[in-house]
Amino acid sequence: MKRYHDIVGDGGSGVLEQVAEQRTRITDGLAGVRHILAVGSGKGGVGKSTLTWHLAGALRARGLRTAILDADFNGPSQARMAGVQGAVFVPGSHKVALPKSRNGIGVFSMGSLIPESEPLAFESVSERESHTWRATREFALLGEILGGFDWGALDVLLFDLPPGAERTVQYADYLSPFDRAAGAPRVSFLLVTIPSEVARGVVARSVAALSKGPHRILGYVENMSGYYCRDCNAIKPLFGTPDSSGLGIPCLGTVPFDPELAAHCDRGLPLTDVPATPAGRALEHVARQLLDVLETIPSASARRAQPQGKEPGE
Amino acid sequence: MKFLCVPCDTPMRLETVRPPEGGSLSIVYSCPECGYEMAMLTNAYETQMVQSLGVRIGPADPAAAPGTSASRCPFTAMIPGGEEARPSPISEPGPVPWTAAAAARLEKVPEFVRPMARTGVERFAREKGAREVDETILDAARDFFGM
Repeated sequence: MKRYHDIVGDGGSGVLEQVAEQRTRITDGLAGVRHILAVGSGKGGVGKSTLTWHLAGALRARGLRTAILDADFNGPSQARMAGVQGAVFVPGSHKVALPKSRNGIGVFSMGSLIPESEPLAFESVSERESHTWRATREFALLGEILGGFDWGALDVLLFDLPPGAERTVQYADYLSPFDRAAGAPRVSFLLVTIPSEVARGVVARSVAALSKGPHRILGYVENMSGYYCRDCNAIKPLFGTPDSSGLGIPCLGTVPFDPELAAHCDRGLPLTDVPATPAGRALEHVARQLLDVLETIPSASARRAQPQGKEPGE
Repeated sequence: MKFLCVPCDTPMRLETVRPPEGGSLSIVYSCPECGYEMAMLTNAYETQMVQSLGVRIGPADPAAAPGTSASRCPFTAMIPGGEEARPSPISEPGPVPWTAAAAARLEKVPEFVRPMARTGVERFAREKGAREVDETILDAARDFFGM
């Protein structure tokens, strides 16, 4: 009797072909993107989204073509920070034009589509069993976004990842094939922690989980590394001072919490609208560090030409 | 998933897909050798599992088998054409007609974005005094919104 792999095709359901078409559409759509930088943590509430938005702004201010994909579908925040909550989606000749922030950063966020008063709820014939299909549906949605929007030519496409160490790895596994495809963007991870043992422990778990696969971790940023007191013009501690170096990955910088910067985020103002502050300078430093590291990552074609080369995270 | 006619040792072929009824799909396969037919009847849980892949089962034209496509607008709570339009107590005027070329562009974008795209572009067209949405209006909207 024939076995599964003895049979060519699937008898006409076309499911496999459609999945392959989705991947092709995504690969084509990302052909102009040099780097995907996925900003994750594993821990929630450490400032991934804010850091992603400000890093994008710092990279944009240095002349890089930058966009953000808010992959936190269930808790999207980039639309508010980027001021694209009321964005108009305009069909282009083949794909949807990407809404842009005032400082020229392309932003896709579910916050442009779903009111903040509503959860992201999918129409379903099996609502009560969402634990069995929800993650799959969200990744299919991610595919529709990657394949349906006009990402154009970008130096860096930042992914604002949802919390959860397992989610971080799911995104890594989803994006990993693109990292190996010819002409596709290189995919790297930047992790965010705060100076708390609890957060560091969760981020360590994400590092361990990512390290089990062929994923490139550039390093981590310690966010909320003290807070900037304007009255004292000094940075004061928010937490204790745990040793984050135990993460075993490079530290690309520490960023203090700045209440004024946070208020600017809520109002959708970019970093460039904020007067020079320690937090702003720290973000600039992280952006410089990031650029330095990204420049060391060879293109897929260069890696094939030098197979003996070893890259970060390999 | 593939189906094999055991007596003929021949892969079966998908014949028809009936739209979900109570969350259940009825998918009929037949053996091209002996003509034997069988139907796979899914429960809602199985139907949803496949739809969650973002794929369609069966005929290429979703209209031919409505409900078998997972690519239609999947959300239950969307902002209709931009958040600023939502709380307005004044209902939107009637739809602005789209030329065939502009409509073709709209068809190419993910279906979950289409309602907002349509509403937003039609509002832009009205503001510009256009009587229809054509490719010129789409390009103007793109420029206007800095895309």
